[in-house]
Amino acid sequence: MRNKLRPYLTAFRVRALLETQYRGAALGGLVTQLFFGLVYAYLYAALYAGSDPAGLRATVTYVWLQQMFFRALFVSDGELQQQILSGSLAYTLCRPVDQHLYWISRNLAAQVVGMLMRALPMLALQLIVPAEVRMALPASPLALVQFVVSLLLGVFCVSQIHAIGLALTMKTLDNRGLSAMLSLLLMTFSGNVIPLTLFPDSLQTLMRFQPFAQALDAPIRAYLYAPPMGEWLVSVAVQVVWIAVLMALGRWMWARQLRNVTVQGG
Amino acid sequence: MRFLEAEGLSKTYIRRCKPKDGGISRLWKRDTQVINALQDASFSVDEGELVGLIGPNGAGKSTTVKLLTGILTPTGGTCRVDGRVPWLERREHVRHLGAVFGQRTQLWWDVPIHDSFLLLRDVYSMDKAAWQRRLDELVDALDLEEFLHTPLRQLSLGQRMRAELCGSLLHQPRLLFLDEPTIGLDAVSKLKLRAFLKEENRQRGTTILLTTHDMEDMLALCQRVMVLGRGKLLYDGQLDALLRRYDTVHTLRCTFDGQADLSRLPAAIHQERDGEAYALTFAPAEIPTREVLSHVLACGTIREMTLKEQNIDHLIARMYEEMQL
Repeated sequence: MRNKLRPYLTAFRVRALLETQYRGAALGGLVTQLFFGLVYAYLYAALYAGSDPAGLRATVTYVWLQQMFFRALFVSDGELQQQILSGSLAYTLCRPVDQHLYWISRNLAAQVVGMLMRALPMLALQLIVPAEVRMALPASPLALVQFVVSLLLGVFCVSQIHAIGLALTMKTLDNRGLSAMLSLLLMTFSGNVIPLTLFPDSLQTLMRFQPFAQALDAPIRAYLYAPPMGEWLVSVAVQVVWIAVLMALGRWMWARQLRNVTVQGG
Repeated sequence: MRFLEAEGLSKTYIRRCKPKDGGISRLWKRDTQVINALQDASFSVDEGELVGLIGPNGAGKSTTVKLLTGILTPTGGTCRVDGRVPWLERREHVRHLGAVFGQRTQLWWDVPIHDSFLLLRDVYSMDKAAWQRRLDELVDALDLEEFLHTPLRQLSLGQRMRAELCGSLLHQPRLLFLDEPTIGLDAVSKLKLRAFLKEENRQRGTTILLTTHDMEDMLALCQRVMVLGRGKLLYDGQLDALLRRYDTVHTLRCTFDGQADLSRLPAAIHQERDGEAYALTFAPAEIPTREVLSHVLACGTIREMTLKEQNIDHLIARMYEEMQL
């Protein structure tokens, strides 16, 4: 078993090490996310204008968690694109690994390490954020555990979406249009632009069950509301179902692309 | 059953391009063009053979290699390597396969090559002790010691190619594909690389399929050669025999002591003055070398004489021309 996992753990490690090299980007991201966090928090403070302190506290916390874990949504990995352009994809295809899992391992490394490099300093910065826009503690210790479990599942779910994106890149040979579209979907439907809790009630069910919400909205709801165990398990089940569906789709697409792949040029 | 067997292997690509004319409809109309990259190629290779694959650019060499590595799926025919169909059993197939694509790199750009080798160890799930033993062997044979801990990007082309070769042999593949491994290398590096490949083939019985435009590589390494042109397998056999078929012209260069009178040489010997020396060109099929020599000896006192075969690049160029490639 361990031997079987070795190639994928290695792919994860290589990509994780690369991510830690991007310290400048991490610092830049930190400043950006702090700025957006403050702007959004004050915006909602002004909107609520003292009418619903509990609602405001929850929204502000939602905003901060989004900013902290925002990076978990994205994989800034130009590797496949670069390999397609240089043709060294030929080498990657000559490795005795499952290509779909190989790229997922890379995605996960980029997401997890990138996320931690943003989230941990952001958490420390909460200490100097003005009290009226500071995030709240988790609803209960159990809520914190639920949050972490849901977050990990969410990250895994998003990595499946990115693997599908990579399969499409194999087809189109250029990832720019695709990345732009995927970013927009992820930003909007994960609740990064407006917290999903603020969408109209009629859309709430739809919002909660669509795949992009599984990444950040699901864990954040656990953090904020400490749902009863039964309700939380349902949300976990939704995540697991999405992971299974997206993974199956991704595997199918990768198998198809590998059959039809054309490595161009001499 | 032989180690590698290909039967009627074919690959066609469909190339879409804009129509040459047609006004506004060019925006959505696409002409399709079928390109036969490889047509009906059948051949087999035994384990331990060292086979050269030559042909002009666009002949189908790379397509053949990509089909045999399992990267591409053929549009027709089939092949088996060690009993496996490459594109169907890709993962198991590539485990026993090494490849060097001369103009690309498999090692990580920013890390010392030793680290890349470590990563490859994990990718192939190699046993640590076996890996270390093999690495020591290759480091020794390929002279990698002095730059083993230098990042790839700081290596010279020759060093890099040796490192690439090491990377593709660490997992002890039974079949090695080399796509222009000596491209851009200096004379010393080329000679070393050739000697190494010969040894690897001889000692371990690694089957090697070599694609190159460097005919000296071919001469030094391969006895058997396959010639591809326009997607067709045009020749498969001994390199010697192929060369003999096209090596139709010899040149005798000689200098004479004092005066020499070459006016009485038969017309079959074409003569040209080159400074002090004469270059006498003849076709052995028309006039035997022995006869040429006796004619030349009669012309004067010879100081120096060399008989040159034709340059192999010229031979191959002639062959391509004749095959209308």
